[in-house]
Amino acid sequence: MKYLPLILRNVFRNKIRSIFTGISIAISLFPLMLLYAFLDLQDDMASSTAQYNRVAVLHEGGLAGQLPIAYVDRVRRQPGVKDAIPLSWFGGNYREEKTQFAQFATDPKIFFEIYPEYACPPDQIAAWQNDKTGCLVGSVIAENKGWKIGDKIPLQGNIYPVDLELTVRGIYDGPDTADRSWLVFHFDYFDESLKEARTPNSGNAGIIMLRTESASKMSPVMQSIESAFASSDAPVKPMTEKEFGASFLEMMGNVRGFIRMTATAIVIALICVAANTMAMAVRERTREIALFKAIGFNRNTILGMFLAESIAIGLLGGLIGGIGTKFLFSLIDLSSVDPGLGMFYVPWRTALWGVALAAAIGLFSGLIPAWRAANVSVIEGLRKVV
Amino acid sequence: MVPLKYNVRSLRARKVGSLMTIFGIGMVVWASIFAFGLSSGLDRTLEIAAEPLDVIVLRKGSTSEAVSAVTEKAARDIKALPGIATGADGQPLAASELVVFAYLPRRGADIKVNVSVRGVDAVSRALRKEMTIVEGRELKPGLREAIVSRAMANRFQNLGLGDKFKVDGGEFEVVGIFEAGGGAVESEIWTDQRVLAQIAKRTGAMSSLQFRAASVADQERLIERIKNDEQIDLGALTEKQYYAEQAAQSGLIKFVGYIIAFVLTIGAMFAVANTMYGAIASRAREIGTLRALGFGRFSILTAFMLESLLLCLAGAALGCLAALAVNFLLGGIQTGTMNPGTFTEVAFSFDFGPKILLQGIFLAIVMGLIGGFLPAFRAVRMKVVDALREV
Repeated sequence: MKYLPLILRNVFRNKIRSIFTGISIAISLFPLMLLYAFLDLQDDMASSTAQYNRVAVLHEGGLAGQLPIAYVDRVRRQPGVKDAIPLSWFGGNYREEKTQFAQFATDPKIFFEIYPEYACPPDQIAAWQNDKTGCLVGSVIAENKGWKIGDKIPLQGNIYPVDLELTVRGIYDGPDTADRSWLVFHFDYFDESLKEARTPNSGNAGIIMLRTESASKMSPVMQSIESAFASSDAPVKPMTEKEFGASFLEMMGNVRGFIRMTATAIVIALICVAANTMAMAVRERTREIALFKAIGFNRNTILGMFLAESIAIGLLGGLIGGIGTKFLFSLIDLSSVDPGLGMFYVPWRTALWGVALAAAIGLFSGLIPAWRAANVSVIEGLRKVV
Repeated sequence: MVPLKYNVRSLRARKVGSLMTIFGIGMVVWASIFAFGLSSGLDRTLEIAAEPLDVIVLRKGSTSEAVSAVTEKAARDIKALPGIATGADGQPLAASELVVFAYLPRRGADIKVNVSVRGVDAVSRALRKEMTIVEGRELKPGLREAIVSRAMANRFQNLGLGDKFKVDGGEFEVVGIFEAGGGAVESEIWTDQRVLAQIAKRTGAMSSLQFRAASVADQERLIERIKNDEQIDLGALTEKQYYAEQAAQSGLIKFVGYIIAFVLTIGAMFAVANTMYGAIASRAREIGTLRALGFGRFSILTAFMLESLLLCLAGAALGCLAALAVNFLLGGIQTGTMNPGTFTEVAFSFDFGPKILLQGIFLAIVMGLIGGFLPAFRAVRMKVVDALREV
């Protein structure tokens, strides 16, 4: 510890070099943080919803299958089920926008029973429930699109040959991990529009989202639902909300593999860069190191001092890169770039993990230079002209 | 001018430092090339599919075949329109096709994903000349048989030659494996249209009608005609437009890839600057000597900028070679993702073509020029007398 002031002075001896190395680490950490935050966020959202004991019931043929709306009542009557709603994906186009956001036809009377973590003023809930063409939107998407209560939202059908004209009646909020980028509206309005257009796909519940009475009821409920519909026209596949969420990431393909590969390349590049910095520092100070040794500093102290210096530079970059990225994305909302993303922020553990990673980069990059410093020969070192 | 040999030798004199920097830059270029190669590979898959004269007819307002419907009557009416190219047998080159989803697990995964199954008629093959059966045999009409692309057969369970899989409860046997030059067809399973319609309980309407126009003028005229004909009441667009819209849906992947490459390039600039500062600091006396010998400031600036560029180009070469080597060893990197527009699997392979490699090299040049400028400028500003005196 008593060497700390010396180490810190060494870190800032060649200011430009240390700062450039730190910045290089910080900037390169940024995309890494972005990618890992995306993964961590998926995990966070999945684990935070676990307490609500929700189960998604899909058609056995996947999301494209048609689940009859009558199933919602049958699911609701299963023992252990608290309540159930349809979530029918509309997938309409909003104005001229190319990218889509989540639009679901659902049951407004029961919606908040299934999603108790969503908060909305009671008068707005009532207004939504009483207006057949009304819709409820998440606070994140409302802000992105600039929607206010009373705004008209036209949606052109893409999957279905009908256009809807909705009115914003409520804006819901919720905890950080809750998806606040949905637009939900009356299933009745949706289905009547389909019937008017005489399409064969009316009465499609999409998926059914249900809540069980307790966590222990989840797997018996899933089993009983699966067997109840097994021999019907539309057999179903129930899965927990967590599995359902994970299946979307899985559909994207080998996302984790791609992220891991990019991360490895970045970390190796950074170790090279930081090692180069440390090697330069050792080379410049050969004479000084020899002098230190001559007056009685032993190898281990010198080794430790250089390693500490290298870790300090790594930490410098890590703090800027890790914590900085977190704050940057609390200012910038990435979901305005792609509404399909839903929402985006950097969790604390991702940021801290970044800091730790940077420190580790510092440590690894310092190993060889520090070892070389520790083994500087006193006589040759003192003689050396740098 | 200071000879280039001087810079090469200087880099060699500081072997370890130069190599470290080259390796670091190489890694950054490598990661960038992968990010570019991924998004370009995905785009290419969708672009290759497009035949310039081909037109896709869909339900008005729908942007993908899977959610579209074209009645048999409308299909007959359109096929009778003048201006559609004819095949060798004199029949119009127009095919009604049905697209439904199969829900299948990838190899090594439990979770199932949607895969497009296309029910085709006799003309469909004539519209896609690039398609060839590489294993097994052709479809026989009227049977529960399927042909599958090589890419999908490799990616999915139950899609190998001789395997059986289910679509809407009906079982199909894979009788052939095809290749189609990497286009969008390579993400599909093909079956007989009538058999598929029966199993999927789709009667009276197919998903789309595809046809080839006889000329560009015919193409424009036919598209207008179909769009404005109240009897037909359908939407039509060129195949090129259709796939361009699909590609627009994968914007997030592209965006993330470019952000990564852009940010890493900036990070690498600082690393280059560091290396060059180090190189210049330890060569102050040399620089003084060069100046004393009569080399002008501009020559010195160019020399150090060149040295920085050399360093980065060596890194770029390493990055490109590494990417090509990985691609070669794996025999092309085949992968797949979900098309966010249609929620179906798109199989594609990474694109490491000359354009992508040049983009990587371009990034390295930017690193070298910007990262090397400040250090080179410092070398120029040194006073001859001071520099010579420095130890």
